[in-house]
Amino acid sequence: MSSSAEEIEKVIGQKYKDGFVTDIEVETFEPGLNEEIIARLSAIKGEPEFMLEYRLQAFRHWQTMKEPNWAQLKIDPIDYYSISYYSAPKKDSDKPQSLDEIDPELLETYKKLGIPLDEQERLAGVAVDAVFDSVSVATTFKGKLKDAGVIFCPISEALQEYPELVKQYLGTVVSEKDNFFATLNAAVFTDGSFVYIPKGVRCPMELSTYFRINAANTGQFERTLIIADEGSHVSYLEGCTAPMRDENQLHAAVVELVLMDNAEIKYSTVQNWYPGDENGVGGIYNFVTKRAECRGANSKVSWTQVETGSAITWKYPSCVLLGDNSVGEFYSVAVTNNCQQADTGTKMIHIGKNTRSTIISKGISAGRSQNTYRGLVKVAKSAEGARNYTQCDSLLVGDKCAAHTFPYVEVKQPSAQIEHEATTSKISEDQLFFCQQRGISPEDAVSMIVNGFCKSVFKELPMEFAVEAQALLGLSLEGYVG
Amino acid sequence: MTNQYSAAYAKLENSLAGSSLAWLNDIRAQAKEQFIEQGFPSLRDEEWRYSNLAVLDKKSFAPVLASELGHIDVADLEAYKLNDCWTMVLVDGHYSAGLSDLQGIPDSVTISSLAEALTDKPDTIKRYLGQATNIKEPGFSAFNQAWFTGGVFVHVAAKAILDKPLQILHLVTGAEVLANTHHLIVLEASAEASIIETFLGCEEQYATVSVTEVFVEKNAGLNLYKTQLESDKAVHLGGVYVKQARDSRFNHHNFSFGAVLARTDVHTDLGQAAECDLNGLYLGVKRQHIDNHTRINHVEPYAISKELYKGVLNDKSRGVFQGRVLVAEQAQKTDSDMHNHNLLLSDNAEADTKPQLEIYADDVKCAHGITVGQLDNQAIFALQARGIDEVSAKNMLTFAFANEMVNKIKFKPLHDQILMQVLNRFPQAGIDQAWL
Repeated sequence: MSSSAEEIEKVIGQKYKDGFVTDIEVETFEPGLNEEIIARLSAIKGEPEFMLEYRLQAFRHWQTMKEPNWAQLKIDPIDYYSISYYSAPKKDSDKPQSLDEIDPELLETYKKLGIPLDEQERLAGVAVDAVFDSVSVATTFKGKLKDAGVIFCPISEALQEYPELVKQYLGTVVSEKDNFFATLNAAVFTDGSFVYIPKGVRCPMELSTYFRINAANTGQFERTLIIADEGSHVSYLEGCTAPMRDENQLHAAVVELVLMDNAEIKYSTVQNWYPGDENGVGGIYNFVTKRAECRGANSKVSWTQVETGSAITWKYPSCVLLGDNSVGEFYSVAVTNNCQQADTGTKMIHIGKNTRSTIISKGISAGRSQNTYRGLVKVAKSAEGARNYTQCDSLLVGDKCAAHTFPYVEVKQPSAQIEHEATTSKISEDQLFFCQQRGISPEDAVSMIVNGFCKSVFKELPMEFAVEAQALLGLSLEGYVG
Repeated sequence: MTNQYSAAYAKLENSLAGSSLAWLNDIRAQAKEQFIEQGFPSLRDEEWRYSNLAVLDKKSFAPVLASELGHIDVADLEAYKLNDCWTMVLVDGHYSAGLSDLQGIPDSVTISSLAEALTDKPDTIKRYLGQATNIKEPGFSAFNQAWFTGGVFVHVAAKAILDKPLQILHLVTGAEVLANTHHLIVLEASAEASIIETFLGCEEQYATVSVTEVFVEKNAGLNLYKTQLESDKAVHLGGVYVKQARDSRFNHHNFSFGAVLARTDVHTDLGQAAECDLNGLYLGVKRQHIDNHTRINHVEPYAISKELYKGVLNDKSRGVFQGRVLVAEQAQKTDSDMHNHNLLLSDNAEADTKPQLEIYADDVKCAHGITVGQLDNQAIFALQARGIDEVSAKNMLTFAFANEMVNKIKFKPLHDQILMQVLNRFPQAGIDQAWL
């Protein structure tokens, strides 16, 4: 490819399009972390007593833990005690009741991101629980969901209105002692989404949350809890963009999914946080713990993710397949460019009989980035007839990037069928030549090939996300992909 | 309590190979210090996460002096000696000239005990010893380097060809014996050789630690076979560490059948356009734990690596495969292919497999594939439909699965020996050996 050097230059020169800072006054805690801060946080949120206990217990345990260092990541040391653990938009006391009451500057933020809130109700059947920094400021379509019996609200609200329900499930999938980042999250999480789909209900629309990180030097700790009761179905969409900042920002989210008999959850993510500039300055540190527990028989969980942002991504959406015949799926496209580092993959824990899982992972590395797939397929002795198929492909764009594949397979059940395949290659000269020979320009040819490479994942995304994902892929590799 | 070994070896201090050489004592001391500091690896070490070596600290395995060797059943040993081979025999880690047969070795080839080589040509040994191993890494290299009692030195001059294979037989004669050997194999430019390492022992609990350093110079080619037939109570730690110069070829065949706890490391660094082909077959029965660890380092461009490991796991056995392919930034045009297939025959068997690709270059073709599964019911049915009973059908299919690896052996006497071992380990009641 004659023009590849220039193309890569263009890729490296690509600026982050969503970068901007919104000037609004925020009430922010002074940097620091101690039991008093946590108590204050809990008090501001008006949380029930058990939550404070839960947080303090997590915090005490967290202080005894060490950061994990096994990932293929180079991370500058993070001072967890110099981060501010709470920031909320002004006018917190009188929460806006409708879109009109929302700070116009805030609306402007969303407009720049191409998702104007005031048009969201008109968007095809999507209810949006938008999170600006740490406090949810708008929830739409609530009424319609309520009619169906679906609870979809900020988790802080759920803690006040449905404390028993939250107490029953919170921390049962990802315990407060699970890992360093999940424990930190348990201690200091500020908000997130709570979804409860009652028995036999098919959620009438796709649920969606947009996350933002705005105020400088504030961490963001999201907590999401989704419970799909017997025979219910829900599709949940999560998309993220963050304004441009020079300081590294820490993000440690926890997502817990609970599935009862015959329930199905489809969880889709498009992650486009600020990845830092071409020299690796700035960017979001993204440490996420996502886990789904298929407690009931015949339940199905599907994780789909498109990861293009963040300076560091440390994320392993997992499926614990407890119920017989339950199904876990993981579809991922991870794109890294410049100095981005991603160590991402999944865990499939087969415990129930005839459980099945599929893993499709596509990694694209460009610039000087590091892109690692790390996955575990574990089959317990009880998982008769378990089935797994794994495919991990990596595409290398540029000669300074790296792609790694670290799968772990542990099988204790002879009737299990496990297959794993991985390939790493660059865009084939033959394919490029073939396209060019038919009059397709090199840029279009690369675009076709990369999109084709990711197609098996994109087709799993809900329609509007698929469009956004393709756009993001183009943006992340612009110049190269055309 | 890793220091039990430094105490045990104190009495052997003066009888270790090359104990009069200051430089050797220096590198032994370094290794000893390293070992005392880090001990044997634990499950916390990423490359050892599936294999627990606690038994080495709990049991008191101890080295023996060359004068204290146990009873050697010569007839039994003869049964394992291959026809058409030169033979070197090591008993409890000490070279036995009486049992070895090196008649008619050509002048261009040196085959001797390491102790002898350390006396005759210490400078040559100094140039190579410890160059392919890394004592800092969690493993058994430090332990081995600190206290190896003896070993074999093979040197094949440039353009020379060793026309018969060399068989290195390791024999352990007593309970709680610790045999610790270090071999050095050097093939100069364009040389060719085939070497077979065979590990045997009495029906007792003992431990073998063996490190083989291999240097394959420009355009040279080495076939290295390892037949691990230790007693079913033994602990076996064997490592092959290879440095390949440009255009060199290294074929390794690893047959891991014995020992209650066996670990084999095969690590190779590939020079420009070098090729390596790593093959392995592990058969686990009873409570055997068989760990295979390979690392292929693509350091220079144009190199090719192929790897295929197969495991058959029965009873309560556990098979581990860890394969790592590392492609350095300048190793463009690398072609790498790795496969691991496991057959689980019992409810209590376990397979853990961890292939890894770590790639820093862009113009490469790398792939790996692994499977874990059971016999294909349709294939069993197809055989049953032709009048073969179920047990025989299963045996046939299992045997066919393993036989692919046996058929890769080019040297007939070894092929036949391995074939018998495979058949013995999985009694093939229904198989008429005539059609094999």
